[in-house]
Amino acid sequence: MNEAGPEQERDQERELEALLELSRRGRAKLERLHEVLTTPGHFGTGATPATVVYRENKLRLLRLLDETGQPREGRPPVLFVPAPVSRYFILDLLPGRSFAGHVAAAGFDVYIADFGTPSREDRFADLEYYVEGLVRRCVRTVSSLTGEDEISVVGYCLGGTLSLLYSALHPETVRRLVLLTTSVDGDVEGGIPWVAHRMGLSGEPYDNPRLVPAAEVKSWFEMLAPGSNSTLGRVSDLWDRLDDAPERLREVRTMASWVDDVVPAPGRLLAELYRKLGPGSNGLMKGTVSVGEQAVDLAAVRMPVLSVSAEKDTIAPPAGVDAVRRVVPHVEILRLPGGHVGIVAGRAAAALWKRTVEFLGA
Amino acid sequence: MAEDKTNFDAPLIERWLAEQQQWQKTLLTYMDSMVKSEDFLVHLGNAMRGSLLAGKAYPTQPAPAASAPETPSDDKLDQILFALRQLEGQVHDLRLTLDELQADKKRTPRKAQPPKPKDPQ
Repeated sequence: MNEAGPEQERDQERELEALLELSRRGRAKLERLHEVLTTPGHFGTGATPATVVYRENKLRLLRLLDETGQPREGRPPVLFVPAPVSRYFILDLLPGRSFAGHVAAAGFDVYIADFGTPSREDRFADLEYYVEGLVRRCVRTVSSLTGEDEISVVGYCLGGTLSLLYSALHPETVRRLVLLTTSVDGDVEGGIPWVAHRMGLSGEPYDNPRLVPAAEVKSWFEMLAPGSNSTLGRVSDLWDRLDDAPERLREVRTMASWVDDVVPAPGRLLAELYRKLGPGSNGLMKGTVSVGEQAVDLAAVRMPVLSVSAEKDTIAPPAGVDAVRRVVPHVEILRLPGGHVGIVAGRAAAALWKRTVEFLGA
Repeated sequence: MAEDKTNFDAPLIERWLAEQQQWQKTLLTYMDSMVKSEDFLVHLGNAMRGSLLAGKAYPTQPAPAASAPETPSDDKLDQILFALRQLEGQVHDLRLTLDELQADKKRTPRKAQPPKPKDPQ
């Protein structure tokens, strides 16, 4: 006979209790996940009411509206330029968590360039198409609508690069320039060009470009963000997060709907950026960059400039961002705690919003 | 989702049975949503990849067949399409220039026409 003693029985009971608790917690997580997945939310669009004032190819120029649904006419205009390789709505993420919305509420007539999702023919789009084409026509449209000869421009990430190049080529049209996590020194390690560099690739082919699939663009970002580059790691993160309250999870979902919704990228643009601004060539620092046939002289950037870097940024390393002071000496540098996305739309983004509003209003 | 009404004073075996029933309810809720909503399937698939991405499927690499090399004619067609896109932009530029000229005209008041010289006769 092998009868369990009272001590052994108590051990077994304790184990079963622990298992029961584990089962209950796992089920609670799945129930929370179900609730989050079935609750409609604010995904994939901007948070602030807006009207489209200009369309070209996939681009839409949005003008934010006030509470009564009217444009903020007569206020100083500000154009936000996001990165063309990701979706625009990070700048207008959630009610109460919208950078562009905050700037608009502070009394500015805010416009956002939504570059849209490129399709196959857009693989031929180059730097000139973006800077001298889309960005320039956005500025012209804003000027035409508002009657202002000069407008302020806020560029985020690669959108900052486009804005800086534009401002150097057309300084007479830019009143104030804000560069958010915009890498200027291509020799500082980090960022997408360095992924290509480390992998031994010389970037995308220029002459016969491809439309780089969204999944591939996403994989580059994942390589720059340790921990997010394996399915197992992501699933484990999500499983841990499912202990959070559903309201918090819905916020996470909104952010995830931006982070994971990467768009395909025009290969020619990437090739040109790598060749002109990437490791080795480093055209912005060396003064060798050109847009189409036009040489870019950063000495022409004489309007007030605010450049913001993030301490924990792996996509645009802060040293590469702050290096702008060597080519635009009058720039105001602001380094904030947080990462590439967090400083714009995270819970600590208020510091950036406040300083930007002060800077734009000065 | 059904509320968890576990009686913590009940014997362990009863609590295990109640837990099993709760699991059945949870799984049925999932199955119900899977049948009723295609979106839910997409979102669940994303969650299984560790993402809460909403509205579309998590980006994955296209199958090799889907990324077959383009033919020269595809390439030419894309180049033509893109050239048309560029033309579209140039037309917008032209329109903006016309708007600017009109605005300038409105801003600058017309200069008074000098009086015609009187006929000496």
